[in-house]
Amino acid sequence: MADVNMTLEMVQASQVGMKALGAGMAVGLTGVGTGVAEMGIGAAAVGAVAENKDIFGLALLFTVIPETIVIFGLVIALLLLF
Amino acid sequence: MLAPKPMSRVLIVASRDQAEPIIQELYRENLFHIEDYVEQGYEGFRIGTPLEGATEASTELIKVRAIENVFSIRGEDIDAKQKLSQPQIRQKIDQELSGIEKEVEELAGARAKLDAKAKVYEQKIAELAPFREIPVDLALLGGFRHFSVIAGYVNHDVSLSVPHEIQVVKGRDRSFVLIIVPEQNRSEVERLLQDAQFQAVTVPEENGTATARTAYYTEQITSLKKEIDGINEKLAKIKESHTDLLVACEEAFRAKIEQAEAPLRFATTAKTFVAEGWVPADREKDISLALEKVTGGKVFVTALPVDPVHDAVPVEYNNPSFAKPVQMLMDIYSRPMYTEVDPTLLLAIVFPLFFGMILGDVGYGLLLLFMCFGLRRVFKGDDGRQFLKVLRNASISSIIFGILFSECLGFELPWAPIIFSRHLNIGVAEAGGKGPAIAELMILTIWIGILHITLGRALGMINHARQDHGGHRTKAILANLGWITVMWGIIIAIWSMFAIPLMPDLRGLPVIAAGLSLGMVIAIVLIVMGVIFIVRESPLEIVELPTIISHVLSYARLMAVGLSSVAIAMVVNYLSIGMFIGPALKNLTVFGIVMIIAGVLIFLLGHALNLALGLLGGGLHSIRLHYVEFFTKFYKGGGRKYIPFGMKRRFTED
Repeated sequence: MADVNMTLEMVQASQVGMKALGAGMAVGLTGVGTGVAEMGIGAAAVGAVAENKDIFGLALLFTVIPETIVIFGLVIALLLLF
Repeated sequence: MLAPKPMSRVLIVASRDQAEPIIQELYRENLFHIEDYVEQGYEGFRIGTPLEGATEASTELIKVRAIENVFSIRGEDIDAKQKLSQPQIRQKIDQELSGIEKEVEELAGARAKLDAKAKVYEQKIAELAPFREIPVDLALLGGFRHFSVIAGYVNHDVSLSVPHEIQVVKGRDRSFVLIIVPEQNRSEVERLLQDAQFQAVTVPEENGTATARTAYYTEQITSLKKEIDGINEKLAKIKESHTDLLVACEEAFRAKIEQAEAPLRFATTAKTFVAEGWVPADREKDISLALEKVTGGKVFVTALPVDPVHDAVPVEYNNPSFAKPVQMLMDIYSRPMYTEVDPTLLLAIVFPLFFGMILGDVGYGLLLLFMCFGLRRVFKGDDGRQFLKVLRNASISSIIFGILFSECLGFELPWAPIIFSRHLNIGVAEAGGKGPAIAELMILTIWIGILHITLGRALGMINHARQDHGGHRTKAILANLGWITVMWGIIIAIWSMFAIPLMPDLRGLPVIAAGLSLGMVIAIVLIVMGVIFIVRESPLEIVELPTIISHVLSYARLMAVGLSSVAIAMVVNYLSIGMFIGPALKNLTVFGIVMIIAGVLIFLLGHALNLALGLLGGGLHSIRLHYVEFFTKFYKGGGRKYIPFGMKRRFTED
């Protein structure tokens, strides 16, 4: 992969770019994962709350459970960047 | 502390003629949680009958509630101005209430009639709408013997082969047609129209052109609306002058009914009644003294033995006053059982801390605090007030953490961060200062996670020690200990392999056996011991082992969610000040002023959005860490709510 004409600066700059890409993907992809997971839960939670308003708190709680995934992504991204 | 209020099971026996004073006294004390009597074959005992006046009071209550519905008044939304005494309320009920009832009933009835009439007219206007373009008296469109009048919508133009007269009003996607044909051709025309997907419309029976009739009905509706407005004004006047009386009456009637129907929950014989229930243990003496006083000693009150595990003891929280608002958050999850550790106090301390760690910003904290005080006028119910108190504590904690983090609306305060910096390098050309201490913050949050979960498991040991019996008790306690040792084993193993800031470095420990250092050996012993303890209770639990890591790492959200909120705040600042306001101020032109206005708008909207996100994120994630990571370690809940017989009187006196 390494081009003979590449200088050290170019390699370093490219590494920084790769890190940024990785960080972005970590957050983005885990965000998608969280979204997919929350999709089903959210729909069911809204349905359940429509039936019985008392469980709003619990429904909200269930909905945010998959948020752990995106937080892991954010942790990885931050570790990559800093 | 950390346990529900101790309860006593009380039995009250008296003759039936003492029922009324006893019930009144119990209602006034508002302490006795009645255990409903279920008929289960005790000879001679039956469910009691209501006291006198229950039916009348119910009828009255329904009437009062009907009026309140007309005015959409709800007792909990109203601030009690003065409490009416019993004779006052009695007098007002006798003198004023029936008059108000009658007046409101009449007005509401009249209004409903007028509303119905207006609806009918609106319907007629809708029916007339298609004919408005046709300047023909509608009376001329009916009553023929040799002709048929066909009116309706068609999707495209029609050409009829029979003699006819047609009026077409072109619409956007369909046309309205009015056709007059000889009677004998009617069926043929209808067939032709069918192809154009004809939808028939009946010709309204009116005299005059459609336009004129529409105008007439519109006028009628306007005058009806005026009449309705008049009635509404009258109702508003009644509402203004009598709201206090209505809510007081409702309360009085409700109290009366609840007292009158109490015997339905007692066991009675021909001459006596028996009431069983729960009172807080420290008030048991007061209750029996008070009952003896009102009956002149003609009552038998005794405490029954309590089996905390098998009796479904009603649960009342027992918390210092600062922790009381958080009970609301506990009830959302589940009320603790009587024998269980009640974590409300821990929640009351840790929840604001977590919230502050996430939303540590002086500006946002102050905004939330003002919002709390502002919303107190809006939220009048009990739950709403409690919620605002929780929010108040959280925002105070947010301000304190803001001072520690040196943050105000994403800007740096004039001092360096006292704990760790969360200032990201956004909008600064050269990295100023040290930049955020991400690694340290993360380790700190993980430390919090480790300690919180260890505490949770320790509480789990206490719960099992209290609730279980025999062999299972030991196993369950050891299993909880096992979870703790596995977690600490993993942590010590990590310490023995890697150097982590803010955590002990165990790599320097001497190697003792098989190339393993002392730390590693301890770790392995802890893990193996823990796994054995866990398996002894339930082998299936093994699949849960990875949650040790995921639950601890989950606490990293304390840093991550907080950082994202800081990032949004800084981006908003950079956008509004760095890109709009700053350049515009350098050389002020007309365009520059527009830029400044845009910048200010971005600033306000951005921070409003971030505040909403911060409130949602900070609140939800803090409570979620409790519900999911903390409570699952020890807390089951499912306790029965303690509902004392009685009422907190707000509008009336006893």
